[in-house]
Amino acid sequence: MGAASRLKSSSISRAVAAVAACKLSLGFFPSFTLSSDKTCCFVLKNTLEEMDGDLSISLDKLPVKRLEIIEENGAERFPPDLSYDDNRVNLIRRIDFAWAVEREDPNKKQKKGDTAATASASKDTTSSAPWPWQSMVENLQLAHQELSVIIDLINTVEANDAVTVAGMTRPKQLPNELLSDLAVSTATKLQCFRHLGKYFKQSAKALEKQVAREARFYGALIRLQQNWKVKRHRMAASAAGNEGFYIDLFDNTLYDPTSVFRPSSMSTVRVEHDSAGMLSLNLPSKACHTLQFGFVSGNSDTILRGSNRTATNISNSELSGETKREAESDDESVKRRHSDLREVHRAVFDEQVFNLINQEAFVPSLGVNVTGIRENHLQLNIDQEASVFISLLSSTQDDHVVGDEESEEKTADIPMIDGSGLEEEEQHVEKKSFLPNRISSEILLKQLFHEQVFVRAKNRSASPSRSQLFGQPAKDGSNLLGHFCMSLAHRIFSYKVLMELEDLASSVSYVRLISHPTWHSRTSSWTLVVDVPQSILHAGHQSLAMEKHFRTKVVVNDDCINIEGEGAPNVVGLFKGKSENSSSVNRYECNLADLHVILLQQVASQIIRWLHEEAVTVGMKASRDFLSLWFEVEQGEVLGLVAHVDPEGGEGGGISWWLVMGNGMGMGEEYKQQVEREDWDGERKRLLGHLSLDVLYATLLDLVTLCSNGYGGTL
Amino acid sequence: MDSQSQNASLQRLQNVEKRIVRVLELAGGVMEEFSNPSGPRKELVNNHCSEFMQLIKDIQVTLREEIKSACEYRPFEKCDYIARISNEICCKKVEYVLEKLDGMKEAIDGYHRAT
Repeated sequence: MGAASRLKSSSISRAVAAVAACKLSLGFFPSFTLSSDKTCCFVLKNTLEEMDGDLSISLDKLPVKRLEIIEENGAERFPPDLSYDDNRVNLIRRIDFAWAVEREDPNKKQKKGDTAATASASKDTTSSAPWPWQSMVENLQLAHQELSVIIDLINTVEANDAVTVAGMTRPKQLPNELLSDLAVSTATKLQCFRHLGKYFKQSAKALEKQVAREARFYGALIRLQQNWKVKRHRMAASAAGNEGFYIDLFDNTLYDPTSVFRPSSMSTVRVEHDSAGMLSLNLPSKACHTLQFGFVSGNSDTILRGSNRTATNISNSELSGETKREAESDDESVKRRHSDLREVHRAVFDEQVFNLINQEAFVPSLGVNVTGIRENHLQLNIDQEASVFISLLSSTQDDHVVGDEESEEKTADIPMIDGSGLEEEEQHVEKKSFLPNRISSEILLKQLFHEQVFVRAKNRSASPSRSQLFGQPAKDGSNLLGHFCMSLAHRIFSYKVLMELEDLASSVSYVRLISHPTWHSRTSSWTLVVDVPQSILHAGHQSLAMEKHFRTKVVVNDDCINIEGEGAPNVVGLFKGKSENSSSVNRYECNLADLHVILLQQVASQIIRWLHEEAVTVGMKASRDFLSLWFEVEQGEVLGLVAHVDPEGGEGGGISWWLVMGNGMGMGEEYKQQVEREDWDGERKRLLGHLSLDVLYATLLDLVTLCSNGYGGTL
Repeated sequence: MDSQSQNASLQRLQNVEKRIVRVLELAGGVMEEFSNPSGPRKELVNNHCSEFMQLIKDIQVTLREEIKSACEYRPFEKCDYIARISNEICCKKVEYVLEKLDGMKEAIDGYHRAT
């Protein structure tokens, strides 16, 4: 303990000496109290008293072994003995150099005093070039010295634990120091205010820009929301950096979860920002499918792609890039987004329809005859007449399609019904193409599926008790594809029927053809009207002021022709040999090959009936048969007007008239057979040719005179 | 909510944002006024502060109204996608009919020219 105290005391004494020196030089006395053992103080006092450099006596404590620790059990511990080297070191330490330090200080003091004196003396003596900063330099040097001593003291205090600083007081500040402190803090505060003001203004500007950007975006989004379902993923919002909006193109309010409608990958379209902060859509990359319907012709490269025109709009807008978008206003951009969404929505629908078609194609049903399958491509056979394909095309896969638009336009617009546009093919196509129009067939296909499946589903879910819509019910179960194929077959067939009817109507002058719209895709109906001239007798005494018409109705259901005509001869009556004036409407079936002939026969029989009526009203004795009218002239002779039906009747039409003379009462079967035989001699039968009804009527009236006047005139 | 009221509501919210920007500007102006070495001008600071408070009050009122009147989230019960597809199909039909009518018109013109 002695050594430690010696160490402390030496440094403390140095410090105290320095303090004393400070006091003398600067008039500045930092006061701090030292708390230590009294033994040290004793030493200090000695040194203070002996400041003039005389011998100083240091008295050590008695080298008694002092107790360090007493333990609980009474064992005593003593500090270990120091080794020999330690002892020597301690002895060295005990040497007090304080007096040497003291001696230096007064020496320095004296020197300073001397130098000051000399300086002042020199100043007095020589008043040349006094350096005004000299005293400040000296003060600073002394201050530096004192500071180093204090720092030493502080370090020692820190290192030792027996001496602590009890307290410190701050010196009182001078007023100018107070003011300068205040000035500095005020300036700092003003600087802070200025920074804050700048910060606020900057953030106001930035916020304004951001608000303007977002106003454009949200304005566009609200406009889109008026027509489409806009939803939001809150989870993805923070991740992706944008707000996570997307547009849902799938209508899920209708379907039960077990149904076949699944949202495809195309039915969500993400809403993003483009470079200018405006709304842009992330359209699905495999972009859009188009449902394509077409007829497979002999050469496979005439597959028509009419409806790709609108589908390439998307690829155009994607390919043209940013330059287009800058020039357009927000309005146009929103409109463009709307049309993009329309395309995608339509493509989703097309895909759904194609899936439905595929499902139905492999259910065996009437009318569906699958001949080929590829990926996204289905080929069907229609009634051995034509082969059609239904495929789902992706619009972006063929970039060269864009360039081929002109050729597409040409091929797409050629009407296939009469084949008149295909100039080069007319030479080797003998009959016209009977295929229905491609576009209308495609529309029919889409409409069928849409109406039956989607609209029904919606109405079913909306109001389960509601009755069925007025749409076309599928005839065979609910297989729409079969219905569609049979519709196509019907159209082809009915076109042929129409050709026959037109042929007939154009060849016979008094027959008109009227088409009736049937609101069913597998039924067609026409009426052949025979305009009968007005009877001269009827004017006045009957109320039939208008012309009489005989109608024959031709109805085609699928591929089955039904003829319905008034005045058609009763089949039973034919066999009986009697001609009954039956005005009942009879209905019978027919096939295409015989249609012309049968219709001509029908018309002819109607004419015969009419003539018969007229003859009877005029007063002639006449009887009629299927295609002939017999008049009784005197003496049992009969004169007959016979209609001959020939479909390839040439210019005048199919009905030619013969005037036949016969004798005898028998108007039975053999007469008819004789009439029809061609080897009848020319004197008995005279060809009148194709006559119009007026001429026929006039002929009839001539015959009246013949009948009443007897057999006199020449024919 | 029809589009008219939707737009008006959007307009009101945009006005709120503009007011917030203005509030920030006022705050910046006041701070800069404080940093004036010759001391802040009292009437300027007063004006700014009163305008600030007024704007804050307006913002609060508008936001409260908008939040109250925002309709609750109804899950797209009146989805018209089916009708939209019907319309698309009808569009195609109309295009087709127009094509046919144009063809007829051309035929008529051709007939008139020929006679």
